[in-house]
Amino acid sequence: MLLLIMAWRNIWRNRVRSLVIMVSVAMGLVAGLFVMGLYAGMLNDRMRTVIDKEVAHIQMHHPKFEDDHEAVFTMPDLDKTDSILLHHPLIQATAARSIALGMLATAEGSSGVQLMGVEYEEECRVSKLQNKIKEGSFGSAEKKHQLLVGKKLADKMKLKLGSKVVLTFTDKSGSIISASFRVSGVYQSENSRLDEVNVYVKKAELDPLLGLSNECHEWAILLKRDDETDSMKQVISGIYPSSKVESWKDISVETRLLIATTDQYSIIFVFIIMLALAFGIINTMLMAVLERTHEIGMLVALGMNKARLFLLVLWETVMLTFAGVPAGFGMGWLLLRYLETHGLDYSSAGEAMAGFGFGNIIYPVFPWGQLLMVVYVVVITALLASIFPSYQALRLKPVDAMRH
Amino acid sequence: MKDVIDAHNISKTYNRDTIPVAAVQHVHLHLVRGEFTALVGPSGSGKTTLLNLIGGLDRPDEGSILIHGTDITKLSANQLIDFRLRNIGFVFQSFNLVPVLTARENVELIMQLQGMKGSEIEARVQALFRQIGMEDKMNTRPSQLSGGQQQRVAVARALASKPQVILADEPTANLDSKSAGNLLDIMLKLNQEEQMTFIFSTHDQRVIERARRVITLVDGAIVSDTARVATEST
Repeated sequence: MLLLIMAWRNIWRNRVRSLVIMVSVAMGLVAGLFVMGLYAGMLNDRMRTVIDKEVAHIQMHHPKFEDDHEAVFTMPDLDKTDSILLHHPLIQATAARSIALGMLATAEGSSGVQLMGVEYEEECRVSKLQNKIKEGSFGSAEKKHQLLVGKKLADKMKLKLGSKVVLTFTDKSGSIISASFRVSGVYQSENSRLDEVNVYVKKAELDPLLGLSNECHEWAILLKRDDETDSMKQVISGIYPSSKVESWKDISVETRLLIATTDQYSIIFVFIIMLALAFGIINTMLMAVLERTHEIGMLVALGMNKARLFLLVLWETVMLTFAGVPAGFGMGWLLLRYLETHGLDYSSAGEAMAGFGFGNIIYPVFPWGQLLMVVYVVVITALLASIFPSYQALRLKPVDAMRH
Repeated sequence: MKDVIDAHNISKTYNRDTIPVAAVQHVHLHLVRGEFTALVGPSGSGKTTLLNLIGGLDRPDEGSILIHGTDITKLSANQLIDFRLRNIGFVFQSFNLVPVLTARENVELIMQLQGMKGSEIEARVQALFRQIGMEDKMNTRPSQLSGGQQQRVAVARALASKPQVILADEPTANLDSKSAGNLLDIMLKLNQEEQMTFIFSTHDQRVIERARRVITLVDGAIVSDTARVATEST
């Protein structure tokens, strides 16, 4: 017990020096927590975008549809399927989509597109389409063959509201179909890559052109809870064994991998920060040991063995390191609480964030789940930092040290 | 009477590879239990080196040192530390109390290192502070104590482990005459009451006058060893 008391009081023998280390540890932790929080916020933003605006929790396709998106690979019984799915208590909304790969041509040129035949209300519930429309609308009931294009495509093809385009694609029987549409609206999502290829038309207008009747290519299913995704995937697979049922983790693999590796990357970052701080801690502890050469010699002379001497230096290092931890956690929490509310505006980065599928405003979150891991990193840092000063202390011979 | 200290033909030379300095040369020393012995001699005569060798702080180049039958020259570094903890008490010229611990904690530290139980430590601490007359200063840090008081705490610390031998290196050198007198009174009282063996190096004539045996060193060798009747008080 006295060893602990000695260690604690020893770190206050040179207040300024110890405070510098404590503040360094605190600031290092703030930096680490900020990066972890920012990273978690970005991934959270990406995951919400994937679930709420792009993929939904679960998608269902004909098993061969995703190979080359041929119109023939449909799922039948549209109304019945919709009814079955919506009756499940964990399913919030569903959207049936007809999809065709084709070309969009104007007098200026052409571009490859993916036609999404959707029901507007369904799509609003599943992918918040209404929030993405920046100009115009999805189309009115009176007017036919209207088209919603992404801003990136509109800029590329110089499309404006009312611009006429020709869409060319193959129907269910393999015949090439061409139809003219007019741009009724321009949308912009967080993912500029999708904005360049996805164009939305009314499913009721696309289906006859594709030769579809009460069928679709894709079911997008939004659940009430994220954590039910895997279990619901199994449930739906059980109901529709002949369809290919995938979760957003299967479809947006890069997002799943990003989330899976977040902890490791974050901790590596904190470890690098703490490793840099470790040199400061080593320096401080080394000075503390060398300044107390005489005293250490005296303690060994009186009978303090090497294990206890090592423990004394170890305790001092751990206490010195940990004294800055509460302040670091506190300041990190305050900073991230502020940013959780106000967000970090990355709009100055232009299209860069959207190019990676992130929104322009990131809302960092305090990494509660990783705090224990951060504490482990601090412990490891303290242990590493204590080795050299302890070694120096253990090398001292009492008779030489006491002459110091 | 059985020897508490039996040093046989011990020698220590420093700077053997450059300019050798023979600090202690072929010293034979025997002390029995309860002796109160002064090591005297001019500066550089080898007093401190001899004390360091007897105390196991340094190793002789030759010879053997038996303390209560254990040849400490044969012990490993770790065994020597444990031996010192249990058998030898040290009092240093410059007190050498741990500045971040109170007087009481300085004394307790040795007992904790020895693995004594809490109740035993408490009783011994109370007794020791009563013996040195500092019950009211137990919770004071060394920096707030006078030199004399610090040295009395150092004596209490040396006695804490109930050692066979107390080695004191110039214990009164940094004390005024009154404090030195008080310290000597305490040391003599403990020597008589607990039959502890005291051996101390000193230049202080007042200390020499009260020693019962005076060993004189010159150039690392014992030139005289005189048993005498000590003056009982200053």
